[in-house]
Amino acid sequence: MSSFFFLLLTGLAYGMVYFMIAAGLTIILGVMNVFNLAHGSFYIIAAYLAFTLVSNEVNFWLALVVAVLCTAALGILMEKFLIKRFYGKTLEQVLLTFGLIYIVSDTAKLIWGPTLKNLAVPAVLNFSIPLGNIAFPAYRLFIVLVGCAIAVLLWYFETRTRAGAIIRAGVDDREMVSALGINVGRVFTYVFAFGAGLAAASGVLGAPLTGIYTGLDTEVLVTSLIVLVIGGLGSWKGSLISALIVGVIQTVGSAWFPSVSMLIIFALMMLILIIRPHGLFGREVL
Amino acid sequence: MKRSALWMCLMLIVVIVLPYTLSDFGVYLAAEIYIMAIFAMSLGFIMGYAGMVSLGHAAFFGLGAYTVAILGTYVTNMYVLILAAVVLSGLVAMLTGAVFIRTSHFYFLMITFAFGQLLYVTAWQLKRLTGGADGKSVPVEMDFGFGPITSPLAIYYVMAASFVLVLLVVRLIVNSPAGNIMRGIMENESRINFLGYNVRTYKILAYTIAGALGGFAGALYAYYNAYVSPELTHWMNSGIAMLMVIIGGVGTLIGPFIGAVVFILLKNYISTITSSWHLIMGLILVTLVLVGRGGIVHWYAYLSRKLSGLSARWRASGKHDSAEGMKSVEHTEN
Amino acid sequence: MSILRIKEICKSFKSLQVINRVSLEVEAGERHVIIGPNGAGKTTLFNCITGFLPIDEGAVYLEDKEISRMPSHKLIHLGLARTFQKNNLFGGLTVEQNIRLALTSRKKFRYQLFRPMSGYADLKEETEALLDQWGYAERRSVKVENLSYGEQRMLEVILAMALNPKVLLLDEPTSGMSVVETAQITEMIKRLPRTVSLLVIEHDMDVVFSIADRITVIHHGEVILSGSPEQVRNDEQVRKIYFGGGARAHA
Repeated sequence: MSSFFFLLLTGLAYGMVYFMIAAGLTIILGVMNVFNLAHGSFYIIAAYLAFTLVSNEVNFWLALVVAVLCTAALGILMEKFLIKRFYGKTLEQVLLTFGLIYIVSDTAKLIWGPTLKNLAVPAVLNFSIPLGNIAFPAYRLFIVLVGCAIAVLLWYFETRTRAGAIIRAGVDDREMVSALGINVGRVFTYVFAFGAGLAAASGVLGAPLTGIYTGLDTEVLVTSLIVLVIGGLGSWKGSLISALIVGVIQTVGSAWFPSVSMLIIFALMMLILIIRPHGLFGREVL
Repeated sequence: MKRSALWMCLMLIVVIVLPYTLSDFGVYLAAEIYIMAIFAMSLGFIMGYAGMVSLGHAAFFGLGAYTVAILGTYVTNMYVLILAAVVLSGLVAMLTGAVFIRTSHFYFLMITFAFGQLLYVTAWQLKRLTGGADGKSVPVEMDFGFGPITSPLAIYYVMAASFVLVLLVVRLIVNSPAGNIMRGIMENESRINFLGYNVRTYKILAYTIAGALGGFAGALYAYYNAYVSPELTHWMNSGIAMLMVIIGGVGTLIGPFIGAVVFILLKNYISTITSSWHLIMGLILVTLVLVGRGGIVHWYAYLSRKLSGLSARWRASGKHDSAEGMKSVEHTEN
Repeated sequence: MSILRIKEICKSFKSLQVINRVSLEVEAGERHVIIGPNGAGKTTLFNCITGFLPIDEGAVYLEDKEISRMPSHKLIHLGLARTFQKNNLFGGLTVEQNIRLALTSRKKFRYQLFRPMSGYADLKEETEALLDQWGYAERRSVKVENLSYGEQRMLEVILAMALNPKVLLLDEPTSGMSVVETAQITEMIKRLPRTVSLLVIEHDMDVVFSIADRITVIHHGEVILSGSPEQVRNDEQVRKIYFGGGARAHA
């Protein structure tokens, strides 16, 4: 039983990482109707950046902040010069972001090489907490807590702040919101940057768990999409629930039913798409 | 009408003569281009003529390829194997299409993506059947009944002939009543509905055809490559097919072929210079999207329109009544 | 015998009741016009009749056959057709291609995959006939998006007529048209054979009174009055609605 607990907690940790990536993607999708295939690229950019910084004796937490800010800045540039021109044009978005995946992936390979890079767990969290008769890595627990904190933050922003209300209104009626004098374009840029930043944070925090390697960006993307579809496009709450489900199934599954764990997840995704295409918490129409 | 017949003849001549101007490697590469062209055409059909954008089309390519690889252990007749591949892909397309088509464009993109990945993971996990990540070698060779086909030249002609066949079939379908209605659906779906057509039936029909053709391409690939692996169904391969359609021009018959030629030649050429062909491809892709104006075929049409407009103006400037000249310019500009 | 019978239809969106127990009948060969201020629910009514929106309560009968829950595309085959308030044509296709699409929907070969569409002689003849009948022969190769607004509006009607309907629903045929265009399309409507019954939504009162055999007035999703043009013209309630709403009314 204790090993199950261990797996469960680990699964939750992974789930939280997935939640952070997926939340960014789903918020961008829900607010801007933009489908960013290159979302995984934000993850690895931040992860690689943090790796380089930490390898050069920079403090982990500082590296985290720098990586997130840089990636968010990149997100702003990307939105302003590339994405903005193709609002509503799904095909162009798919192609554009597909090309970006290629560009970032190869550039990363050129700079950092194809071999696995390890980002060390920050020293202050590098210990295990005895829970019952298992020793659970504190870092993983930390991630779960961070995930919860972010969820609370998002909830608070959405329901209690004026900015959150504006964004929700912008989702429903762009013209009305801009008629109120609010620069919808700028709001969108910030939302995109926020999504990128969230992905970046998950990249840096998740790197000690997953390692950094070529192909990670598309793996992250696929996982985010699974989470998104099951949880519901545009709903970060849905992402939270489904990310945790996916994380747990994956972790528990690869220990207990390794040959079918991925199959289960994809089958679940297909099932949802058939029975309830807008996901567990998604809006009816997209 | 006459002009397309001319193009057809020209193409046939090039296709027949080409291998004699290329090295063995070139001939082999050309054969691959034909196969990918068929695959791209199958996607181009639903994208450009029925308005359905799928990010999981490689699923059918993989299905076709694996059918040949797996069934080939029990059956060696090429006709049977290819038929099985086509029928299975078509059937899967019909069944999944019936479910997927209910969704909006956006969800359709995602659900086809999901299905492609599902097959990828399935191919990966069912080791005993598919060889898993290691892939599976294809135990059969092409044989029309006159002996195995092994020389690069012979393989080239088989693939070339298949390509021409598929091109003609797709052309036929596009110009048929059903094909016209599919285009109508892409143009204005609700209107087609209110004209009395069952839109769903047509969409499923289009998707089934596309799936079957994709499976055909996959089957050919199995024979060509003698080896299949799960990567064949990966969504990035679907993306590459989409790329080929876009490069060549969406909504054109020959576009996907041109896109396949450009993509594969570029990939091969760039790979000899640098290992970062993804980077170059990505840059080209982004540039293409930013510049817009469709693919190569549209560029060609655009350029030829511009040229004929220029020449008309040039002719008109010599005329007395310049007003008449301007009128003829307006006509060609349209 | 009424060819189209709408019985006590109700339709609401969430908590907003848009159509409230609307009943009306169209007699065979009749020109029945629906009028009413904007937002009265007239287009919604059309959407309900044609299966685009599901009805909450009530029923629709076409030649005594209930069609209330039938999918739109089946209704065409039973003889019901409609035009749209906003042009709903195939913009990127030519006039000829538009008409061809409309004509093919009832043909047996509409699922044919392997013969070119140009190979069907009777289709070609019928297309020619329609083009000539309505004066579009010279415009046949023009892309619909390049037609003038008025020409598009009239093509809407032609497309619907190509379906050989028993009942034709015209949704604000003169909407957005100039005086000249309005006169043209009114002529066109008058030229339609009496084998086709018409149910028309219209705002332009001149047009209404020049074509209507009967008029139904709808306001706030309810039928206020249904009767002859004379009755409607002289009714107190109708005058109040129109003078209050600011729309043009015939004194």
